Amino acid sequence: MKVLELKGIKKSIGQEQILKGIDLHVSMGEFVAVVGASGSGKSSMLYIMGLLDKPTEGEVFFEGEKIDFSNDVKLSQIRNKKIGFVFQFHYLLPEFNLLENVMLPAIKLGMRKDEAKERAYELLKALGLGGKEGRKIYQISGGEMQRVAIARALINEPSLLLADEPTGNLDSKNTQAVMNIFQEINAKGTTIVMVTHEMDLAFRSKRIVEMRDGQVLSDRLL
Amino acid sequence: MRHVLFVAFRMLLQRKRQTLVSILGVSMGVSAFIVMSSLMLGFQNYFIQQVIDLEPHVRIKPKEGQQEKEAFALLLGEKPKEKDRILGWQDMLTSLEGHPEILGVAPRLVSRGILKYGTKDKPVTLLGIDPQREPKASIIERFILYKNLKKLETNRTGVIVGVLVAKSLGVDQLGKKLLLVAPNGQTLLVTVEDFFESGITNIDDTRVYINIKTLQSLLDKQGEVNEIILKIKDVNRAEKLSRELQTGIPYEVESWQKAYRNFLSIFKIQNIITYMIVFAILTVSAFGIFNIIMMTVLEKRKDIAILMAMGFTRGDVLMVFMVEGFAIGILGAAVGSVLGFGLQEYLESVKLDVEGLIRTRGFVLDRSPVFYIYALFFSLFFSLLASLYPSYRASRLNPVDIFRSQ
Repeated sequence: MKVLELKGIKKSIGQEQILKGIDLHVSMGEFVAVVGASGSGKSSMLYIMGLLDKPTEGEVFFEGEKIDFSNDVKLSQIRNKKIGFVFQFHYLLPEFNLLENVMLPAIKLGMRKDEAKERAYELLKALGLGGKEGRKIYQISGGEMQRVAIARALINEPSLLLADEPTGNLDSKNTQAVMNIFQEINAKGTTIVMVTHEMDLAFRSKRIVEMRDGQVLSDRLL
Repeated sequence: MRHVLFVAFRMLLQRKRQTLVSILGVSMGVSAFIVMSSLMLGFQNYFIQQVIDLEPHVRIKPKEGQQEKEAFALLLGEKPKEKDRILGWQDMLTSLEGHPEILGVAPRLVSRGILKYGTKDKPVTLLGIDPQREPKASIIERFILYKNLKKLETNRTGVIVGVLVAKSLGVDQLGKKLLLVAPNGQTLLVTVEDFFESGITNIDDTRVYINIKTLQSLLDKQGEVNEIILKIKDVNRAEKLSRELQTGIPYEVESWQKAYRNFLSIFKIQNIITYMIVFAILTVSAFGIFNIIMMTVLEKRKDIAILMAMGFTRGDVLMVFMVEGFAIGILGAAVGSVLGFGLQEYLESVKLDVEGLIRTRGFVLDRSPVFYIYALFFSLFFSLLASLYPSYRASRLNPVDIFRSQ
């Protein structure tokens, strides 16, 4: 079953065309690595996949349903319930402790506070952050912050996890830890699309999509 | 909404100092509004209440300017014209007494005069009254210090003088003899039977009550009156009733509102100035709120972007910052109300001689709870207004632009 499908996606910013007609689909359970040089359009494509950005041309289908980019409420609902984001920077909110950061999307979803708390506890524990739930973000390391961001992305059990250079700010040890987590959650059924420029990380996925100048250059299964 | 409150309050609490300053700004405006309104309206209501109690609700008198002309005519030896007095006043009294809206009616003869005591003299307004009828048409007895109104009946040369008239003349005891000089040059030795204090400076400084018959005799106007005063059931209907009575009466029918229109106009101007000052204070505090929320929006762009990525709608983001403004408004109103209440308590405890349009011992405050409701409304209005634009700006941020810029 296709989780996501892009048909003829074009994206321009000003006069510059960043995406020049992308046709791509992602099936349930896949772990796709999108690789390419800087400026190849991989992040732009990821933002459209995550329904954060509107294509200039083309259509996006999420779980078979055509996306109406003019409906902010509907887009937000899909992002909240079905898509998790992990970025190069953790983007954790400094006002909240780790547990609360993870709980936020669940609270937005309308989950009961105690249920959200319990789920956040479990996720943090599973990601090796048990006992640190009450800490503020400045009290943990960069690798731990990224793991909290992953926990936050997973709390609503999304059908698609989008990661934009998730290890870009991490040392090799933490990079391996994050990749291990991705492989584990993918093994449990979560579909992942990860943008990276590091080929060794891309080879830990199941499929590599290579981009160049706003187009898909190659798409191969591993 | 839970998620909105969750984020909004955390953001506010994280910027404790700025939030506190904003709350204090609003609370200053709120307390200023409460105290200034209660002082201003307290003073105005006191004045109006005294006027309503003491002065006729409606008076019938010769057309404007006739009394002054009469004084000149008398000086020049002319006989008073008929239009300077109220003709057939006895019939008019009887007729008015039967009116369902009228509680009491009394005749008066009003004139100017000069009171002399030793080397001092004082121009006064002489009110010739019928001591039996007068209390039916005004609450004069409430303002007479020793309750000797009836003595004007037994002692035809008795007078009741305003406390400030007495003070000007240096009269501080009952029974003192004063020389009364009428506009026609006639003089009469009168005895101080009582003092009169309304608290309204203008009245206490000019007014002298005397038996109407004595004044008629002194002015050589036997049987004449130039004013009929009415006390009515509903003081707020005075203006309307006076217009109704005017039909068919060849004299001027004047309501208390019309008689005191100059003061009432001043009160309106006072109120406008007061509310302009409060508006200015609240506007300044609104800029404080605008500033803090705008700063938060600019500093929290990344956070706003990630909130949108995790599913917050643009409406949610708008609400997060509107709630911040609302919370500052509510807290500012609460702190301001407590401050305002404290200031009211303090002002009420101060026993200070206040002299101006009215004279009181201490400040006269209107402690109506309505001011607190208005203050809450105004603070919320200004807070929400101030947070509207920054909140809108936050809701229009494009998360992709923010992620790209990192």
